[in-house]
Amino acid sequence: MQNDIRRLLDAAASAAKEAAWVGLRRRRTSASYYMARDGAFDQAIGGLDDGVMVEVLYDGQFAYGATPDLSPEGVARAAASALVAAKAAAGKGVHRFDASVRPATRVSYRTPRARKAPIAPDGVFSFLIDVCDALKAGDEIIQTVSMVEIGRYDYEIVSTNGADVEQSLHYMGTSLQAVARRGDVVQLRTANGPRGLTRQGGWELFDAAGLMADARRVGAEAIELLGAETCPSDRRTLVLTPDQMMLQIHESVGHPLEIDRILGDERNYAGGSFVKLSDIGGFQYGSKLMNISYDPTVPGELASYGADEIGNLAEKRLLIENGTLVRALGSLESQARSGVPGVANQRASSWNRPPIDRMANLNLEPGETSLDSMIASIEKGVLMRTNRSWSIDDYRNKFQFGCEYGTLIEDGKLTRTVRDPNYRGVSSTFWRNLCAVGDASTFAAFGTPNCGKGEPNQVMFVGHASPVCAFADVEVFGGGK
Amino acid sequence: MTKDFKKRFDAVAARALGELLPDERGAISYSAELSAFMRFNGGKVRQSGSVEQADLSIKLWKGAKTYSFMLALSGDEGEDDERVAEAVGRARALMPLLPDDPYQAAPEAAGSSDARYSGTLLPEAEIPARVLGPAAGLDFTGIYSQGLVCRGAANSAGARHWFQTETFLVDYSAWLPNGRAVKSSYAGREWSDAEYAKRIAATKRSLENLGVEQIALEPGKYRAFITADALAEVVTFFSWNGFGERGLRQGESAYIALREGRESMSPRFGFSQDFSLGVEPAFNDDGELAPERLEIVSGGAIANTVVCSRTAKQYGVPANGAGEDESVRSISMDAGDLAEADALKAIGTGVYVSNFHYLNWSDVQAARVTGMTRFACLWVENGEIVGPIKDMRWDESLYNMLGAKLEAVTKERHLLVASETYERRQVGGSLLPGILVDGLSFTL
Repeated sequence: MQNDIRRLLDAAASAAKEAAWVGLRRRRTSASYYMARDGAFDQAIGGLDDGVMVEVLYDGQFAYGATPDLSPEGVARAAASALVAAKAAAGKGVHRFDASVRPATRVSYRTPRARKAPIAPDGVFSFLIDVCDALKAGDEIIQTVSMVEIGRYDYEIVSTNGADVEQSLHYMGTSLQAVARRGDVVQLRTANGPRGLTRQGGWELFDAAGLMADARRVGAEAIELLGAETCPSDRRTLVLTPDQMMLQIHESVGHPLEIDRILGDERNYAGGSFVKLSDIGGFQYGSKLMNISYDPTVPGELASYGADEIGNLAEKRLLIENGTLVRALGSLESQARSGVPGVANQRASSWNRPPIDRMANLNLEPGETSLDSMIASIEKGVLMRTNRSWSIDDYRNKFQFGCEYGTLIEDGKLTRTVRDPNYRGVSSTFWRNLCAVGDASTFAAFGTPNCGKGEPNQVMFVGHASPVCAFADVEVFGGGK
Repeated sequence: MTKDFKKRFDAVAARALGELLPDERGAISYSAELSAFMRFNGGKVRQSGSVEQADLSIKLWKGAKTYSFMLALSGDEGEDDERVAEAVGRARALMPLLPDDPYQAAPEAAGSSDARYSGTLLPEAEIPARVLGPAAGLDFTGIYSQGLVCRGAANSAGARHWFQTETFLVDYSAWLPNGRAVKSSYAGREWSDAEYAKRIAATKRSLENLGVEQIALEPGKYRAFITADALAEVVTFFSWNGFGERGLRQGESAYIALREGRESMSPRFGFSQDFSLGVEPAFNDDGELAPERLEIVSGGAIANTVVCSRTAKQYGVPANGAGEDESVRSISMDAGDLAEADALKAIGTGVYVSNFHYLNWSDVQAARVTGMTRFACLWVENGEIVGPIKDMRWDESLYNMLGAKLEAVTKERHLLVASETYERRQVGGSLLPGILVDGLSFTL
C-alpha cells in the first residue's frame, strides 16, 4: 500500500502545485456485526469503507478534498478542489498555520493481539444464542439481546514534508441486554452499558466463559430490579463503578478540556466549556485525589494509537495532577492557536471528515482505597452501576446521569438494591467532592465507540479506565413521572 | 466523481440484483453526495473543503438465511462493478454459516418513484465571502454545507426508487461577549443573498434581548413557551424508545403505558409521519414505500405504530414501510389555535424557551426526559421580555409536557430540515408548532 499512496501523493502535489504543503490520509475500515435476539438470529452485517482525504496548505490556510476514488486522477481532482477551498478561505481563517502542525512523523503501530484468526460466523452465533439463553433468567425476561462487533481501522498518512504513518487498530465489542417485566414495572439491564465492552485486541476478547457468566448475572439482576424500590431522593455519598465512571470522566472532564471547545469551535453544536485557557496550570478541578491522564499507550484500551491523524506522536500526559489542571486536550493546531500545552489528539471519524480535537484514552489513575474499606467508611450512600442516561449542559457544568442498578449503603454496608438511580450536579463541585479513589483491584477499562462532536458531525471511539470512586454530598433520585 | 449518480445507481443495482441466482432475493439501498463544507468560528474560517462519496448496502435472502453488507463505492464504473460482484460472492460463501432467520421478510413491493430537486448553490470559491461577509461584526459560529444528496433503493421484486436534492444550509449562532447567543439557520435549494441578509438582520435584532444581565431562576415549576426549534429536540424521543411496534412489544418503548391505557396525553397533542413535507423519500432501504401520511398519535392516543416487515412477520401485524429501526420519519405535529404573536402574553410570567440541549431519558418507562435550556431563553413577566435566563436543567415526563400540562399549541408551524451530518448529510425534517406548558419542572 505504501507505494500506492506515495504515487497518490505525487498526483495530489502535482495538482496543487501552489500549495506550500500537501498531505494524504487514507483510512480503510472493515467491520462485521452479529446479533441474536431472544435466542435466535437477528442480524448479520458486514461493511467495507475506503477513501482518502487530501489536505493542502495555501497562504496559511488548510483545506481538504475527500474522495473514495483512489486513482491518481481521482486524488488529483480532490487536491485541486482542496486548493480552491484553501484559496477562497486564505486570509479569512481563525489562524495562520504553517507546516509545523503537520510533523514529519514516521511511525508504525498495530494493535497487540493474542489471537488473530477469526472464529467463523456459525461459531459466533452458536455462542450468541447460548448467551441469550443465559440472559433469560426467568419467565419475567421479555427480551434478550447479544451482540458481537469486530472491526479494524487501517490508516496511512503521508505528506510532502516526509510524514509516514501506518497504523492498524483492531477492536471487538460485545453487548448483552435483558429486559424484564412484572406488572407495570419494566427494567433493562446490560453488561456495562451500551457498547461499553468495546476494546482493542484480537479474538482473545471473545471470552466465552466470562461473557456467559456476565449474561447469567445480567439476566438475574434484571429480574431482581423488578422487585426493588426506587432510588431515594436526597443527598448522600455516591459510589460509582468503572462502567459509570467512564461516562462521568467523558462528559465532565474530557469534553470541557478539549481546547477546540475552549476556543469556541463547538459553540454552535456540542458546546463550549466552563474551563478557560487561563485555568490551565492552576485551576483546582477536583479534590487532591483526582489524577487524570491522557494515555493512548495502554494496550487494549479502545483509543490507543501510535500517532494522531495529523501525524503527532502519541505519548502519555497527565492532565489533572492532585486535582489541579495542568494540561488540556488540544492538538498541534489548537496549541498553535491557544499557546497552551496539549496532546496528540487530532482525530477524524473517517477519511471523509477533517480531524478535530478528541479525547483518545482518558483515565483516572488508581488510588489506595480498597472497595471494602471505601464502603465501610460510608454511613449513608448509594452505589450505582452501569450508565444508562447522560445529559450535560453546553459548557459541561450542570449534568444529570442515570444508571441501571443501585445498591444502598447504610452504616458501612451494602444493603438493598434500588432501581432507576439517577444523580445530578455541577462538574467541578462534584469533582471537588471526590472523597475516595479505589485501588488497582477496582480498576477497569471500557470503551465508548459513539462520541458525537464536530461540524460536519463525527462519531468517534474513545477509551476510559477508572477505579471505583466515591463522591460526597451528591443529589440522587429515582424514577417515576 | 460523476454528478449523474442515478446512472451509477442503475449500474450497481443491475450488477447486484443481476448476480442473484433463482433461489436468491435481494434489496439494495444507495447513498451518494457531493458536498462542500465550511466551518466557521468568530466569523472566520476554521476548516473547509469538499467531500464526494457513494455507498451501497445490499441485503440478501437465500432459503432461511439473511445477510447484509455495506460497501463504499469508488465512483469508477469498472472498479465498482467488480466490488459489487465480489461482495455478492463473499456474502454467498458466508450465508451457509448463519443460523436461520425466523422472521425473514424479503420485500415483495415492486413500485417505483423518481423525485429530483435541483438547486442554485454558491460557487465553491465564493462560499467564505458570501456566507461570512453579511455577518461581519458578529461573533458568528457554525457550519455552511451545500451540494447534491442522493438516495436510491431497489429490490429483486422489481422496486426502483430514486430521490435526489441539491440543498444548502447555514447552521449558525451569533454570540455576545457575555456568553449569550442566538441560534438560527438559513436552508433551502435556491440561495438568495437578500434572504440570507434578512436572516442575519433578524439575528442581530434578537441579540438585543440578550445584552442585559442574566436572570438566575430557582428550581421549581414554571410556565414555559417551547418554540418549534426547541421542540425539535423533543421530537427525537418519538423515535428513540418510541412508537416502533417492536419496542412497544419488547419493553424498550417509553409509551407502553400510553398504549395500555395507564397514561394519556393531551387531546391537543397529535402527530403524523407525513412525507408530503417533501424533505425525504418515503421508501425504506428494502425498497418498500410508506404511506404518504400515517397518524401516529391522534387526540392524545396512539393511532398507529411504525412497523417494519420483519416485526410484521414476527407479530402478525401489517407492515407500513418502516425501516428496520422503526423510527418515525418526516414528523408533522398537529397545529393548535394559539397565535405565535400571542406567545408572550400567553406565558404571562414564565420562560420563553428558544432552544433545548442534550436531552436524555431520566426514566424511560415514565417517559421522563431531562435536558438543558440553551441559547436565547428569556424570562417573561406579565407578557413582557425581561431578559435572558441562566441556563437551567429541566426534568419532565412527556406525559406531563404533552399531557396534563400542555395548555396550548400554536397555529403556526415551522419546517425544520435535518442538519445532521454523521457519516453523510442527512435528509428529512419536521413540521412543528410551538407549545405552551404550565409547570415545566426546572431542577438545577
